[in-house]
Amino acid sequence: MVKVLVIGDASREHAITDAFFRSVHEPRIYAAMSRRNPGITRLSKQSGGDIAIGDINNPEFIVKVAKDFNVDFAFVGPEEPLFHGVADALEELGIPCVGAKRQMALVEMSKAFMRRLMWKYKVPGRLRFKAFKSLETAVAYVNEYAESVAIKPARQAGGKGVKVIADLQVYLSKEKREVKKEHVKAVYEKHMAVYDDIDDKVLIEERVEGPEYTLQVFTDGRHVLPLPAVQDNKNAYEMDIGPETGGMGSISGPGWLLPFLTEEEYRRSVEIIQGVIDALWKETGVRYKGVISGQMMLTALWGPTIIEFYSRFGDPEACNVLPYMEADIVEISEAIIDERLNTIKISFPDIATVVKAVAPKGYPDYRDLAKGHPVRIDEETIRRKGCKVYYGSLDERPDGVVVTAGSRIAEIVAAAPTIPEASNIVEGCIQYVGLLDGWGTFHRSDIGSEVLLRKRIEQAQLIREIYRYRASRGLIGKTIDWIPGKGKIEYEF
Amino acid sequence: MAGIVGIYAFDKLWRMARFTYYSLLALQHRGQESAGLVTCHDEGLIDYKGRGNVDRIFYEEKLTAMTGWMSIGCVDAEVRPNQSIQPIIVSRPIRLAFCMDGKAVNWNRLAVEEGISAESDVEAIAKILSKYIENFGPSEGALKLLEVLSGGYCFIALTERKEMIVARSPSGLKPMVIGSFGFDYGIVASESCAIDVIGAEYKADILPGEVYLFTPYSIERARAPKSKVTYCSFEYVYLARPDSYINDVSVYDARTKIGEVLAEEYPVDGDVIIGVPETAIPFAIAYSNKTKIPLAMGFVRTGPHVRSAIKPTQFERLVGVQLKLNPIKSAIRGKRLILIDDSVVRGNTTKNTVTLMRNKLGVKEVHVRIGSPKIISHCPFGVEVPPEDELIARHLTDEEVAAVVGADSFHWLSVDGLVKAIGFPRNMLCLGCFTGEYPPCHKG
Repeated sequence: MVKVLVIGDASREHAITDAFFRSVHEPRIYAAMSRRNPGITRLSKQSGGDIAIGDINNPEFIVKVAKDFNVDFAFVGPEEPLFHGVADALEELGIPCVGAKRQMALVEMSKAFMRRLMWKYKVPGRLRFKAFKSLETAVAYVNEYAESVAIKPARQAGGKGVKVIADLQVYLSKEKREVKKEHVKAVYEKHMAVYDDIDDKVLIEERVEGPEYTLQVFTDGRHVLPLPAVQDNKNAYEMDIGPETGGMGSISGPGWLLPFLTEEEYRRSVEIIQGVIDALWKETGVRYKGVISGQMMLTALWGPTIIEFYSRFGDPEACNVLPYMEADIVEISEAIIDERLNTIKISFPDIATVVKAVAPKGYPDYRDLAKGHPVRIDEETIRRKGCKVYYGSLDERPDGVVVTAGSRIAEIVAAAPTIPEASNIVEGCIQYVGLLDGWGTFHRSDIGSEVLLRKRIEQAQLIREIYRYRASRGLIGKTIDWIPGKGKIEYEF
Repeated sequence: MAGIVGIYAFDKLWRMARFTYYSLLALQHRGQESAGLVTCHDEGLIDYKGRGNVDRIFYEEKLTAMTGWMSIGCVDAEVRPNQSIQPIIVSRPIRLAFCMDGKAVNWNRLAVEEGISAESDVEAIAKILSKYIENFGPSEGALKLLEVLSGGYCFIALTERKEMIVARSPSGLKPMVIGSFGFDYGIVASESCAIDVIGAEYKADILPGEVYLFTPYSIERARAPKSKVTYCSFEYVYLARPDSYINDVSVYDARTKIGEVLAEEYPVDGDVIIGVPETAIPFAIAYSNKTKIPLAMGFVRTGPHVRSAIKPTQFERLVGVQLKLNPIKSAIRGKRLILIDDSVVRGNTTKNTVTLMRNKLGVKEVHVRIGSPKIISHCPFGVEVPPEDELIARHLTDEEVAAVVGADSFHWLSVDGLVKAIGFPRNMLCLGCFTGEYPPCHKG
């Protein structure tokens, strides 16, 4: 009897728990959560396991739970426990962990570390960047140089605080420069204020454009075992309008690719991630054991390019692939722990999957408004209509009432031969997730629609033509600027 | 007729006044009588407006001083009393700024029913909207207004409660599109060129009967019950900018198609083709490509771009035309000329042009081809068409028009040709100014 501890309490962890629940090895599932997610709770109990509620970012709590339940190994869902050294603490205790050690999780936690690593080991798909420790130098840089840039907190800050500004109209430059400066200040004073675990504060990167996608892989620190490419949709509202969210839904397939991604691009994306895994080994002598995801973009500079890394599955991206993965997650986990991941084969049915999140009004920027609303999820009907539902940012109170916790309520997933068909199936289920007190919810009906797909394909074709043309001129990994009065500046990537 | 824009940032760092200014500059062709913009910030609404062209009304310092991360703006072709220059602000019951393009045909009756006194259509409609918002909420209020207000119009309102309400009449007669800039702001505008100019990305049309409500924590869409959709065909012929998309159709593509159809319908042998700037240039390019007769640059413009057809007085129209029509003599002299223009309303400017060609420049022949059908009727939806007794096409045959203007031949595009060029089924287009038959939304 295998006993596994799943750490985390969002939709992604519900999908992970569900994968364990479906394993032929019938593991007992134990869950450590900060909030009581009813979906994870139910599966754990049904498997003969149990749950523990506490601060999952506290290694002592996790270690205690692992000891109490006497688990064989742990599987970590979210990033913060990894940043806080949960994997290290478990291993010290002799409990293997599918989840990056602190030093490895730096690829996500410190964006400056990740960029420096990629530059040092010349991994393709890099971007030019500058990291700043002091506010003054960052503001001075923005004042003097920055044009089209992405301004980010140097640490992973819960997905918040990233601002991408295309500054291409000189007549609006003044306004945009003010916004950039103010945002740099906001990163220091707001988004980074609560973190003192890394030195760098703000990262300013060159802005690139193109279609984005996520490539999630299992790794044992030597080999990578990739999953199908997924595309997340970050804007809160329909047609890619609105503020950035953790993701309002995602699409995958048919098969391993996306309609706007070629096999060659997929292969090169895997190579980039393999390159980073190798670089991490060379840099630290530690094996990365767990899940790593490249949040990637097709750019004119490289084709596949790294925007950010996740030291875990994406959410909602995990919900696209885990339910349909034809491989046993217990076997995968054990292979990761034993560093023999090359012995595992994963296959997927030749289908497309669509995930849509339902969020309470107020998400993402006014979370206090989005909190505490009693939830209604008609799981039975959703299942009958051919979808799976994963419970999200929810809390089951002692009185049994389930309320929202401020982020996405649930993620609904369906599979079909094509993305638009899967999207339609999910649409038919959205109404079965709602709030009992009349507070509003929203979702994006356009995710997976023909219209949006066509846009992505068109955008990818444009970008593909440029990077192929650049490749034909030997310009990949290079930029050449002409600065009037200063001369030619060449950057070798 | 007017051009309207609304920009809504999702975080307070943005100051949208200058963005609105540039969008209005891009919409200048939709109205040159007055312009205004309103921004909204924590302290409420601030307005800034005046008469004339956008670049003469707005000054650097004042734009810089205007804070506010939400903003709406308008350029207007209609001459209005001072207090009615758009966007107008009404104070009760909900304080809001309001601007619209197009006309509602029954606003007077509605105002009486609602017990509202107003000096103009925009003031009346703004007050009714304010009342409906108070009674039914912003989204439902706007939907209710769409249901009772007949005509062809789009409007944008910005309330002091930091809501931006955008609506397009169920007829879809006037155009309206939506775009965005990354995670930072959303923008709605009469035409996509206003989105392009500030570096934002055009996303889609706002659908006929659709209402968008922007609030600090949501964008909500709602749609009025379906009714007959009739897009304005004159947008494609003359009103819109050629770099815009209207109802998901490229205006430039429609105009080049018009030139091709014109060449099919009325071919003529000649030495050179001249298009009257600006609107007729795509017609002329396509006519030339189709007939293989070379195209030449015929005129050079003096001064700012003036839309002569939408100027309110005859004097201003003539000034507009003459300023944009200084001919390049060497391109024309002694040739058999095919002159392509976008529209002929009264005929006198065409007559001046043809006379100039013959008397001063010594052309051998002048064949006039017009890229729009005969304008024979008024527009109830706010396009400035002169009284019907002034419209040359309503009263004279093509031969008579040719004789009046002094051309060797003279032809208008057929209505069927226009329909074919735009590409929508005929019953989805309002062709009222060409046929005198108006869509159902015309009736109050």
